[in-house]
Order: sequence, then structure tokens, then C-alpha cells
Amino acid sequence: MGNNPSSGRGISRFLSGRFGRKLIQYALVLFIALTINFALPRLAPGDPLMYFMGQEVNTLTPEQRDRMNRELGLEGSVWEQYGDFMKGAVSLQLGSSTKYGKPVTEVLRERIPWTLLLVVPAFVISPLLGIIGGAYAAWNRGKRRDVLLLAGVLALESTPGFWVGMLLIAVFAVRLGWLPSYGAVPLVHSDDFSYYIEMVRHLILPVSTITIVTVGTSFLLTRSSMLDTLGQDYIYMAEAKGVSRRRLIYRHALRNALLPVYTHVTMSLGVLLSGAVVVETVFSYPGLGRLLYESVVARDYPMMQGVFLMITIGVIAANLLADLTYPLVDPRARSRKQVKEAV
Amino acid sequence: MSLSFRRHSIKLVTTVLVALSVLAAGCQTAKPEADGSAAGAAASKEQQVPELKIAVPSDVGPLNLYLSSGNENMLELVYDKLFSPSPFVKEPQPWLAESAQQIDDLNWVVKLRSGIKWHDGQPFTAEDVKFTFEYYRDGPSNRYTHHVSEVPRIEKIVAEDANTVRFTCAYACPTLQNITMADLPILPKHIWEKVENPRKYTELPVGTGPYRLVEYKPDQYYKFAANADYFKGKPVVDSLVMPVIKDPTSMFNALRSGEIDVASRGVPPELVDSFKKLPNMKVANTTELSLVEIRVNYEKEPLNQPELRQALSLAVDRKAITDTVILGQGRPGLQGYPHPDSPWTNPNLSTPFDAEKAKSLLEQLKYIDRNGDGVRESEDGKPLEFSLKVTATEPTWIRSAELLKQQFANVGIKTNVEVLDAATIGTLGQTRKYDMYLSNITPHGVADPDQFVMSHRSGYLWTKGLAYPEMDALTAKWMAEPNIEKRKQISFQMQELFNRQPTSIVLYYPKENYAYRADKYDGWVESPGYGIVHKYSLLPAEVKKAATGTK
Repeated sequence: MGNNPSSGRGISRFLSGRFGRKLIQYALVLFIALTINFALPRLAPGDPLMYFMGQEVNTLTPEQRDRMNRELGLEGSVWEQYGDFMKGAVSLQLGSSTKYGKPVTEVLRERIPWTLLLVVPAFVISPLLGIIGGAYAAWNRGKRRDVLLLAGVLALESTPGFWVGMLLIAVFAVRLGWLPSYGAVPLVHSDDFSYYIEMVRHLILPVSTITIVTVGTSFLLTRSSMLDTLGQDYIYMAEAKGVSRRRLIYRHALRNALLPVYTHVTMSLGVLLSGAVVVETVFSYPGLGRLLYESVVARDYPMMQGVFLMITIGVIAANLLADLTYPLVDPRARSRKQVKEAV
Repeated sequence: MSLSFRRHSIKLVTTVLVALSVLAAGCQTAKPEADGSAAGAAASKEQQVPELKIAVPSDVGPLNLYLSSGNENMLELVYDKLFSPSPFVKEPQPWLAESAQQIDDLNWVVKLRSGIKWHDGQPFTAEDVKFTFEYYRDGPSNRYTHHVSEVPRIEKIVAEDANTVRFTCAYACPTLQNITMADLPILPKHIWEKVENPRKYTELPVGTGPYRLVEYKPDQYYKFAANADYFKGKPVVDSLVMPVIKDPTSMFNALRSGEIDVASRGVPPELVDSFKKLPNMKVANTTELSLVEIRVNYEKEPLNQPELRQALSLAVDRKAITDTVILGQGRPGLQGYPHPDSPWTNPNLSTPFDAEKAKSLLEQLKYIDRNGDGVRESEDGKPLEFSLKVTATEPTWIRSAELLKQQFANVGIKTNVEVLDAATIGTLGQTRKYDMYLSNITPHGVADPDQFVMSHRSGYLWTKGLAYPEMDALTAKWMAEPNIEKRKQISFQMQELFNRQPTSIVLYYPKENYAYRADKYDGWVESPGYGIVHKYSLLPAEVKKAATGTK
């Protein structure tokens, strides 16, 4: 609180520094994104009253309409609502969902763990498979296995998620009866242990679906980046001095080839929070993606804003993370000062 | 136009993919197992069933009447009405009420059953009934409001003693027992009088009904437990688990794999046969008391001309649509509006297909193809061209719209089909920015005679204040008529008038097929307008029979 003259200068120095400049940039992006998040849902036709009353919405008088909007917390001009929304976004007071009748933050808190449970494993497995496969294909470039792998991955990459999901359900749930086809938890269970086992069983098909649909990108990135790297002189050098093949691929070449893949994976972390709308719908999974879909159908503005806010923050944070950590993996992107420190 | 075309092709690809995945799942039918006929025997006798899994297509909130509408099947597991099962049968049976008596044109006295308790143990009394009717009338609007405040208008509700309620209407109300009391669920006063904002009330409901909602996870599942003290007898299924499965294909896959016992969504026509062949599976065919219609914007030029609307109706070949699009799973809409299976509908209504008559009507209106492009123009040269909007999530409607486009073209009317999302069409409907769109109406809309009058005041079938002298005269007569039979006859005249210049052109009356595992439970019965998944299916045989009039 005291009047410390140096703290003001400290802040301005901080803000003009590399990190500070980034921060201001990101704050600006966040502000614009939030404004769009507020405006877009309201530009779409439809309103929450329709959802509540169905056809009977026509029977409402203008007074009843106003009253209903008030009861739903949608009173006030658009500008007032915008002001409230911005204030709320900063303080995480996101208002009350019109569909669920509960505070938005509470609904989000219920859904986020489910989405993470579903998406995190997929985001670990998918790049891992992609990278290993990509490196393997690049090393065997032009051979039969490369062509087959490439064709297979391209086919998977271009398959819509819901279709993969339905096929998996048709085979593993309906025909073989091995795995459950819907939901996140068993509706009836004997004890806690079987509950958790069932929870994992419920994850297998949706996680596989996301993995199958997303594995292509990291595979293709790794493969092409590896092909570049494998043509470099230092690889010939390493090969000439008798480095083993596995070491050559995975230590010498892959480490350098992974840079673009690293950026891709870090940045796609941001999508984690948006869940997987289609997969969550096909598998009736109670995550954020499905929540977003339901909110759009119900024109539940506060809820939509809440989910969009999560996605926006996620994407921006992931970008920031990629931005800030990239110098750690790629020495060429380090600033002069960092290089000096490292030396 | 190009946009709608693109959406079409996406839809087409989707349909093909869905069909393929269903085929993949269907291969299992060949598996030889116990034959289906013997399967139901186990559960059919009055045996207590411990648990059933019933998939529902959407989350409808914590069964709060103020948070969503159109979920009466689930709502009425928890709540009861004075008369049951619904206004859609000839004679609703006394339920919470013991009897109802019409004293004179305006007054009714209702005796309530005594000894009924709410789920929390509080006694059910006349005060609850009085509170409910007044709350619907004066409180926040919901779907029941105008059935107390307008058609009919109940002026005064007096609890004369703990088991007697007196209703006084503002104008004659001969259908109070058969319609109103069979429609409105009764709420507990001791709970709802304390609710501050019903639109934010998320506590689990307390009712008098056969089931208590014991657990609810939004977008995941509902769990109900039987109310062992139910005044109509203990339900035959102890516990109901209802997962929410939004995606239709996923729901039917879950039914195939045995993860659920019944789907509360109708089986699509193309899958019915494959489901009938599955071991232990039965398919119940029901009439839906709903209809698929073209809504016509009667406020907009030139559709405000009654004869033009009549010509449109005559130009529709309903049989061709039923045969081609819904594969016979429904009847062509040749008896117009409202639904012909309602006891309140004029049995002599007729809306035939007659392209020649349509053409001659158009000619009389001076719509003639003056430039030879196949599209008629008005005298001032404006082509007879309309947009027809269809909901993107309804493939059968989209196919119907394509047929309609051809049928209208045959009489010289050009139609542009636009595929949009449901909420967008809803808004265009409310703001009257449309020519025509496809829609469907629920039983409440097409089987309830009070609602027919209400819909002419609400802007659904007609708008209050817009000139319509013939209908206004009939409505005035209708409102003054205290005799239920005579009033019905006036309703019949209104319906005839309506179908001569329809603002809703009925395409077909869908049938629905509900598939269920007969080895798990075989006691399902149809209640008109409710399908098979409703509380009466789960009550002891005697009660079930009395309430639904089935075997």
C-alpha cells in the first residue's frame, strides 16, 4: 500500500519487457475474444423462452414475456448485459444458467472433470502413436509399409468422428457386447471398486474414437519433418560413425524433427477444455462439449458464455505456453540474454 | 439456395453413414437364441420387477414445470392430476378426485380422495388444489396458465373443507372435468408457496405420484423409486433408471446390446423390421395423437387469402408423401386438423387431394402463368413463389418438403426449400417472417378442444384481433354453451370452417413404434398421446385397465 516510488517503475519495466509485452498482447486478444463470445450467441435467432414454452410461447403477452426474462435473469439492455458479462468474466461470477437453473460456475465445475478424463488420455496416446508411427514411416520412406501406413492414416484422418464412434459401438458394444455404449458411469453397480472399473470401461470407446480421429495430424507432421531431418548432413555423419539405427532415429533425428510437432501438440492443448462435442454426443458423455451443444439448443446465453470463456482461456493459455516454452526446446529461439545465461 | 443444397448433401452423407453403422450392428440378428414368443411369459404375470432401464432422448431438468415443457410422461410419474389419464380419452377416470359435479353453468364442486399423502408425508388436501390452480393462473407463466386464465377462465377457487373444492368460471365451462382437471398436475402447497423464483428452483420434486425422483444428474440420468404407499396400489416396478441418450442411433444400439430395456423414442420406420426379428424384443405400434403440418403465414400477403390457402391444401398429395417418405408408418392427413383419433374431433372432416380444383381456384384468384415459365403470376405480375422452411434435424420432413416442392409446382406454385435449425425457425415463426414451414404439434395441441380455441387466440392458428368474423361468431357461441354435447357440435363446425381455409395444412398422422425387451417387462400399454412409457404401464393390472381402457 505504501508509496514506494520504485514499484511503479518496476511495473512499467516489467510491462515493456518480453514477458510483459506478451501479457498485454494476450489480454487484448482475450478482450476481443470475450466480446465476440458475448455477441455471437445473441446474433443467432431464437431465445430461451422458446425452449421453456415450446409452441405455447406464442400465448405470452409482452408483460408475461418481460416477467419471464426477469425471472431468468435476462433483463436489462444488451449493453448492461455486456457490462455484467465482462465484470463476471474477470471475477468468474458468470451468472445463472437459464436451462439448468443453477450458477454457471457450478455446472462447469461438474462437467470439467469428465471432459478432462475423456480428453487427456486421448491427447497423450494420440501424439505418442502419431510420433512413433510417423518416425517409423519416414525411416521406411517409399517402402510398402510406409505407403500402407500413410494410406491408412489418411483414411482415418478424413473419417468423421461420429461415424468412427458408431462403428466402434456397433462392433464392441452391440455385436461383441464387451464394452458399454453410452454414459460415463454405470447406472447400477455393486461397490466402489466395480464403480471405478466400470468408469474406465466407459472411457475405452470414446477415448479410442478421439485417438483414431486425431492421430493423423501428428503422424503426418512427424513424418514430413523427419524426412527433412533425415536428409541433413549430420545424420549421414552419425550413420557413418556407426550409430545404431534405433539411436539414430530416435535420439539424433527425431529430437530435432519433433519441434513442429511440439508446437502443434502444445497449442492443441487449448482445445482440451472444449471437449469433443461429437464424440460426447455419440457416447452420451456428460462433458463440456455436450454441455455447449445443449446450451446452444436451449439458447442458454449465460451457459454458452461460460463454456466459451473456458475454451477461450484454454486456447489462449495454450498459445502462451507454446510461446514461452518453445525457447526451452529450440535453442535457436532463445533471446541473446538467455543464450548468455545458458553459456 | 446453394447453402441449402450443401446442407442437403451433408445430410445425405450422414444418412448413408448412419445406415451403414446400423447395418453393421444389425448383423447380430442372425444369432439363434430362444424364440421371442416365449420370452415375455416370465414378466407378464403380476410379478414385481426390481428394475427397468428406460432411455430418454433428452434432459428435461429436475422435473420442474417452470424449467421445461413437453415432458409430461416423466412429470406425471411424480405428480398426479384430479382426473386421469388425459383429456385425450372419452372419459377420464377420477384420480386425486373422487367425483366432480357440475352445479350450474359456471360452478363445479369436486370431492377429493382422502388419505392421500405427499412423498414427504404431508397430507394432500383441498388447499393444495386451490393453491395449484391459483398459482398456474396468477403465478409465473407456464404451459398450463392459459387453461385456467383464459380457456376456460376460472374466477374463483374455494376450499370448502379439507376434501371439497368449488370452482367458479367466468363463462360456461362444461369441459372442466374432462379437459382441465385431466390436464393440470397438482403441486404441493407447502413446498411451492415457499419457492421464490420457480425458474431457478432445482430441488427434486415432491408429488403424490407412483414414483419419487431420487437422483438426477443433468444430461446423464434420472433414478426413480416406487412409492410403496401409492393410493392406487404399489407400482409393479421397484426402480426406474433413465439414462439420457441424445443420439437416436446410440439409443437403439444400446437397446440392441441389452444396456437398456426400452427406448422411449419411436423406432425409425426403416429399422422396425430388424427390431421385430431380435430375440426377446417386441415392438408396440401406437397412434401418436400428433401430426406433421405445413404452417402457413396467414398474416402475410398473399397467403392471407383464404382461397389461396385452400388451393395449397388441395394441391398436396398426402398419400404420395406417406407412401414415399414415412414408409407407411402413419396415415395421410386426409381428415385435416385436429387429430381424427381425438374424441373431440369431427369425424366427417375431409381434406382431399384435388389438383384440378386447386388450379381452378388459383385461376379464380387471377393467378395465371402469363410468361410461360410454369409459375403463375398475379395480375400485377408477381410470381406465386414461397419459401418452405424445414428443421435440419428432421430428415423425414426434409424429404417431405422435396415432394411438396414438386406437388406445388404441378399447380404452378414455386417453392424454395430452406433447411434451418429449429430455434431459427421458431424465431421466424414468432416474428412472422416466413411463408411456410414444416412443424409438428403435440397431443395437447391437436386432441384438446379447449386448446383449439386457445390456439386461435394465441397466434398459433389465428391471431387475436385479426378479423375472422365467422370464427369469432362460432367462438362466442362456443363460450356461451353450458352443455358439453352441444358445445362439441359447435367445435365440429369450427373445425370444418378451419379446414376450408386452413392455416395448418396437415400432411400426415404419424404412427410410432416402441421397441422393448419383453423378457424384462411386458406390461406396457398405450395411453393415447403418451406412447407406452408412462406411469399407467407401471401400475397394477386392475388400475392400468381402468385408467387406459386396455385389456
